[in-house]
Amino acid sequence: MSTLPENMSTLPEKVKSWMGEAVVRVDGVLVAEQGLWQNFCAAVQDGNPLYWDARVAACLTDTVIAPPAMLPSWCIEHDWCPEDQRLGLRTLELHFMLKDALGLPFGVVSEVELEFHRPVRSGDVIAAEQSIRYIQDEKKGRNGGVNRRWGIDVPYKNQDGALVGVQTLHFFSYRKA
Amino acid sequence: MLNVNELQVGERIPELIVDVSTKTIVMGAAASRDWQPLHHDPGWAISEAGLPGIIMNNYTQAGWISRFITDWCGPNGRIGRLRFKMQKPICPGRQMRVEGHVAAIDRDDDALCWVGLELTVHADDVLATTATATVALPVSEPGAAWRRGDGHWQPRDLCPRA
Repeated sequence: MSTLPENMSTLPEKVKSWMGEAVVRVDGVLVAEQGLWQNFCAAVQDGNPLYWDARVAACLTDTVIAPPAMLPSWCIEHDWCPEDQRLGLRTLELHFMLKDALGLPFGVVSEVELEFHRPVRSGDVIAAEQSIRYIQDEKKGRNGGVNRRWGIDVPYKNQDGALVGVQTLHFFSYRKA
Repeated sequence: MLNVNELQVGERIPELIVDVSTKTIVMGAAASRDWQPLHHDPGWAISEAGLPGIIMNNYTQAGWISRFITDWCGPNGRIGRLRFKMQKPICPGRQMRVEGHVAAIDRDDDALCWVGLELTVHADDVLATTATATVALPVSEPGAAWRRGDGHWQPRDLCPRA
């Protein structure tokens, strides 16, 4: 359920219409594969055999699995791809739509919650829906700018419709004076 | 295999220390396909965003924290929840130190034990990120956590605030 700011008049009509809806749907961006998740494992030097070693994984997870922490990135497309395959979505598109609509050009993630369900395996295609959890009132910043906080929920499902995980992100966005 | 019968609240997890370089941050951003300039372009991060430099993205922080947890519990452990609050940026040239301890233990049944963890990430001496996690550990049969099917896998929330 979405939580609205106390002063609703500060929200553009477009943003009000997004409340309570799955505003952005992302599907078919990537096919999960071990080579891609091993790039992530290399970045954080993670040698968990479930991500690397089919023999060990066979005893626990049947097949090698992707690191759960990279779940959201299965719905982020490559920075370049052929025009006819391009969705043209930015990383967590709804956050950028809010920044644009509310005139707050800068934003950082302040808190992340991840709940993990079915593991992602090679060949999986993950779909996501982005919806607004809350938007707080705009505040004046210490240096004369303005800022606002909001939260976005993103459930992720695999190609069979099974829940793979749920991500909730809390953002702090601002405009300098 | 971690013996959950000997696990106690307060038990410390061996710390993880990483010298963070530009490469560390850019590798994580690239592997998660996060090409926002604040994760790879120092000029933009400093002059446009007012940051001290490029900063480690949230996906990479989740990756390091997850790795810290599974280095401790091994592949039999299955992370159910991860929550983290980024308070200060992690930039190149800093030493990242991940620490944590067991904050709660909740036996599910004869097969599974839920363990709540409280974690911190420092960049040099600055507290950069606080985190909590709930991980399922098998009591005796190594694959017990992973064999929980969809209907029976309901991650508990033992540490609700990061």
